[in-house]
Amino acid sequence: MHLQTASQVINYAVELEDKSTKFYEDLAEKFEEQRETFLSLAKENKKNKLLIQRTYNEVVSDALETGFSFGGLYTDDYLIEINLTQNENYSDALSKSLEIEEKIQKFYVNTAEKSKSFLADVPRIFEKIAKKRDERKEKLKSLL
Amino acid sequence: MAILEEPIKKTLLLKNYIGGEWVESKGEFHDIINPATCKTISKVPSSTKEEVNEAVKKANKAYPEWRRTPPLARVRRLFQLKELLEENFEELSRIQTMEHGKTIDESRGETRRGIENVEVAAGIPSLMMGYNLEDIATGIDEYLIRQPLGVFSCIAPFNFPFMVPLWFAPYAVATGNCVIIKPSPRDPISQVKIAELVDEADFPPGVWNIVQGGAEVAEILLEHSDIKGVCFVGSTPVAKEIYKRCGQMGKRVIAQGSAKNFILIMPDANLEKTIPALMTSFFGNTGQRCLSGANAVVVGKDDVFYKNFVEAFLSAASKIKVGYGLDDGVQMGPLQSKKAKERVLGFIEKGVSEGAKIILDGRKVKITGNYPETCFLNPTIFEEVTVDMSIAKEEIFGPVANIMRAKDLDEAIDMIHASRYGNAASIFTSNGKFAREFQYRVKCGNIGINIGIAAPMAFFPFSGMKDSFFGILHGQGKEAIRFFTESKVVIQRWW
Repeated sequence: MHLQTASQVINYAVELEDKSTKFYEDLAEKFEEQRETFLSLAKENKKNKLLIQRTYNEVVSDALETGFSFGGLYTDDYLIEINLTQNENYSDALSKSLEIEEKIQKFYVNTAEKSKSFLADVPRIFEKIAKKRDERKEKLKSLL
Repeated sequence: MAILEEPIKKTLLLKNYIGGEWVESKGEFHDIINPATCKTISKVPSSTKEEVNEAVKKANKAYPEWRRTPPLARVRRLFQLKELLEENFEELSRIQTMEHGKTIDESRGETRRGIENVEVAAGIPSLMMGYNLEDIATGIDEYLIRQPLGVFSCIAPFNFPFMVPLWFAPYAVATGNCVIIKPSPRDPISQVKIAELVDEADFPPGVWNIVQGGAEVAEILLEHSDIKGVCFVGSTPVAKEIYKRCGQMGKRVIAQGSAKNFILIMPDANLEKTIPALMTSFFGNTGQRCLSGANAVVVGKDDVFYKNFVEAFLSAASKIKVGYGLDDGVQMGPLQSKKAKERVLGFIEKGVSEGAKIILDGRKVKITGNYPETCFLNPTIFEEVTVDMSIAKEEIFGPVANIMRAKDLDEAIDMIHASRYGNAASIFTSNGKFAREFQYRVKCGNIGINIGIAAPMAFFPFSGMKDSFFGILHGQGKEAIRFFTESKVVIQRWW
């Protein structure tokens, strides 16, 4: 799907946060020894979601190019797989989480760039979350 | 494609909000239709003369005590209202989409701009201050104080059902006046929802009132001797009439009228960045705003630049996704009503018959999703438009763009000045001299430089010139404070 409007972009960001929250909650359930770590990541995702929605609602304006400035963003580029199969072990799950973080980070970086000229504060929040996602990858790698 | 949940599940029977009570009207009711789905979402009355008079009476009764309420206490009601508007942000936005047709991004943007006026008005303890000078003569001091006047009315248009009354009402009540809002009879639900929050915010009864109805209700408000001032946004003939009548009756007035806005594209414009801004300008809110671009004037003799511009403009407009505004991928919603669509169709036909070349025909309706075509049109673009054609002169209020040419900036400015309207004009350029010249010379109230919709923020006045505005002071910001207050000068000496 081609994301073209600010509303679509924000909804998709929320969807990514929701999906990755679910993923980490599943990991917490499956891998008891890292339960707290995974739950803290899920909690952080929930905070990200609220932050994104609040920031967008605070700066959105009907007079700016919210409907026409996101050309070139396709959800296919950021699809994430969150389901864990029975056979996947801890290491597989962590590899999957790294892939998820990579995709989500890429989404935030690209979207921040496209919204820079007209959605005050939203790009800053996207960049902030992208940076957090980058730091998170290091954290996940250390668990491998 | 994600269709957001509709907040209105069953037909609402709208009431008046008079003296802090929800009062059922004895007037005739008519249906409010969601222009995208064509389903009835509410029934709105046309209030009787007695009901309107009762609203004025209650507002007038509330005034003395509200006026004596310290500004800080008045402002606390506004802070409370702001909190409630934030809490209900999404519902309020979706209601606008349901009753007006605009996209959800546009509705959220409208909600935000409305709330910003409540925020600015909350600065009244500072904004309402007067000034003074000691010793204007020996032992004599002089000072100016600002005082409220009484009851104001706001007669609102259909194109921004949530925001426009908030250009006025928060300032009116913050300065100690009472207000009666008459929403547009075409999309009155948003104002009812705001009044519900006003009620929850515990404004004293009678300070903020809503009376439903059309021109006949406006007429009563206009004529009523206890109404001290009128704020109107709508068409030029009505604005002119209201201005005249208010003048005769000694009422204060802000009367905003129609527009026909020119957008100049200079040969040095950055087309990549200009095109999305032009899409918003010409087709945002389905062209139903007084700041919309209407005439795109490509300046210069460079045929290659002209061709490139037309191609890019056409390509972007033809890709606009039209549909129900609650589908978050939709970029343009329907016209607000079938009648509004018919009016636009009439202009398109006029354009064709007057010899303009139609290069994108929005009459061939293509909608995303399964909705009746009743109120929908796709974007239309005319080329080879000249200033004498009706499509170039008259306000169409729909998604129709006219492409024109001017040999240089002087000729383009002359074209703007040939219009009877002076609401807004924009220039797209990389050249500071062109921009400065444009800003300096163009006789329009709101100027955009590389901005498609020159919409003033809440802390600036919403300006307008020529036949687009009748009055002296404007809505929003400091000018609104002056409009809603009397300047009283005191000179004192003590022996």
